[in-house]
Amino acid sequence: MPPLSAACDVPTADIAAPASLPNLAAALRERKTARILAIGSSSTAGVGASSNGKSYPSQLETILEDALKGVDFVVLNRGVPGELAQTAAERLKSEVALAAPDLVLWQLGTNDALARIAPSEFEATVLSTIRWLKDNRTDIVLVGPQYSPRFARDPNYFAIRDSLQDIAAKEKILYVRRYDAMQFIAQAHANLQLMARDNFHLNDLGYQCMAEHVAHAVIVSLFIKAPRPVGN
Amino acid sequence: MRAPNEIDFWRGFALLTIFINHVPGLYFERFTFRNVSLSDSAELFVLLAGWAMRKLIDGPARALSGSALVLRLEGRAMTVYVAQTVITEIAIALLAAASLLLDAPFLIDWHNASAVFNDPVRAHIGLVLLTHQLGYFNILPLYVVLVVGAPIIVLTHRNAARALLPFSFALYAGALAFGVNFRTWPVEGTWFFNPLAWQLIYVLGFLLGGKDGVGGFARQWRKTLRLLAIPIVLLGALVAVSGYSPDPIDLPSPKLLFMFDKTYLSPARLIHSLALAALFGGSFAAIARWTPRLSHFFSLLGRNSLNVFCAASILSLSAQILRFATGGGITTDALIVMVGFSSMGLVAWLSEWRERLPAAPGRGPPSPSGAPSP
Repeated sequence: MPPLSAACDVPTADIAAPASLPNLAAALRERKTARILAIGSSSTAGVGASSNGKSYPSQLETILEDALKGVDFVVLNRGVPGELAQTAAERLKSEVALAAPDLVLWQLGTNDALARIAPSEFEATVLSTIRWLKDNRTDIVLVGPQYSPRFARDPNYFAIRDSLQDIAAKEKILYVRRYDAMQFIAQAHANLQLMARDNFHLNDLGYQCMAEHVAHAVIVSLFIKAPRPVGN
Repeated sequence: MRAPNEIDFWRGFALLTIFINHVPGLYFERFTFRNVSLSDSAELFVLLAGWAMRKLIDGPARALSGSALVLRLEGRAMTVYVAQTVITEIAIALLAAASLLLDAPFLIDWHNASAVFNDPVRAHIGLVLLTHQLGYFNILPLYVVLVVGAPIIVLTHRNAARALLPFSFALYAGALAFGVNFRTWPVEGTWFFNPLAWQLIYVLGFLLGGKDGVGGFARQWRKTLRLLAIPIVLLGALVAVSGYSPDPIDLPSPKLLFMFDKTYLSPARLIHSLALAALFGGSFAAIARWTPRLSHFFSLLGRNSLNVFCAASILSLSAQILRFATGGGITTDALIVMVGFSSMGLVAWLSEWRERLPAAPGRGPPSPSGAPSP
């Protein structure tokens, strides 16, 4: 298990509750290689990072390969800044058909909250996509919205965030609670700057923490006793 | 001005639908036909664009030589390109202004705009090359490519009519089989509307708009086709309502052929949109008798489709910002629809009013107008 770096260290409970990733586990066991599709908005695309290599999917690839020696990870970045879940869900299907990933990382929530999408509508989109991915023997990790003092009192924002939490619990899938993790860091190390100058996007360190948290959640989940993947 | 007609009517209908569909979360979105349909107004819009081009080729542009035709179509492509770059720039400015006024820096992220602010050097090259597109502002780039390529369609049609459909179909099948699409840059990805796939529905519109060949066949067998379309349209409704989507894992390759994919215009969507056209095409006469005002209004919009489309794009983005600022709600949404529809009507009316203005004495004849645009 790779330790979290000092700057990104948060209590494990603040990151995610482990959930099984049967298809990713099977791919690692059988092929020693895994394809991961990272879809989402600006936090996936890497807005605010100093280069493409600093985006969270790029950093995640390095962390995973360091942590699981002898395994080849391919992380595809399909982030489109400012995109809503509904559009991402549409795009996701053809991306999955073309790339056949073992795991999809779907970072979402902020833009839907800002566009005032009704939580019920958001939930329906996310749920149907998760079920579709399950039918296609593809694991999914939901990566939730970030913490930002700006949204600390926005009820829409919380409604969307909570609906992700509910969906994850109901569907027994991995949900990375970025909000809690980032809030912990903001409070524990007030002097650490995780945000870019616009105070909304992450900077390189912010993306490093995001990658570390996602990697941590994925690796912990890989090592819990996983049921055999459906259909194998 | 042309009298209200079927093409303009349905184009107007598509424009109004696109406006509503481009305000995500809008209450009234649930009443648009994509909720009961596998394909949506984008297919309709492109099919009709091809159809309208055929009307131009067989009508006012019939006598034009090949080179004059190429010039005219490329001129039109330039107009569409300019429209696309201008509305994109306005959209960027709208997001920037809103982010300042509402103290909401994240608004400059919306719809893939952030590269313009965070990576301006490369993004500006991408904007001009159409490789950087904003979400919901990605139909016109497709249209630009189609109109740039329109001379190939027209000249093939004139010189080797039978080759057009096989050629277009081969391009489509190749794009789907190998997953070929235009790339975006600097944000790595692919075009939301793949021109290599979508050209087929444009060409089909072009062929169906003619009186001979495919169009003649469709007219001759209209009743049979309409009957065949009913189960397809019903099935499409069932799919949309149930939310069913095929599982690629169980599909043979090339998987895109069997998906319901919009980017690649998977065959299911294509067939469904043709079925819609077969079922509802020809109903204009009845609609015009039943509600002449509606048919006038829709046709007014359809006659000025480019201007109205541009206005609708800007209006829908403004509506999104308004919904963000006010928190949405059915009252705001009703206001958005009313203001949006009337503004689109106003833009169309102004466009025609300007064309009707007599030229000032000594300034030459008024510019030719009234011809259907491709």
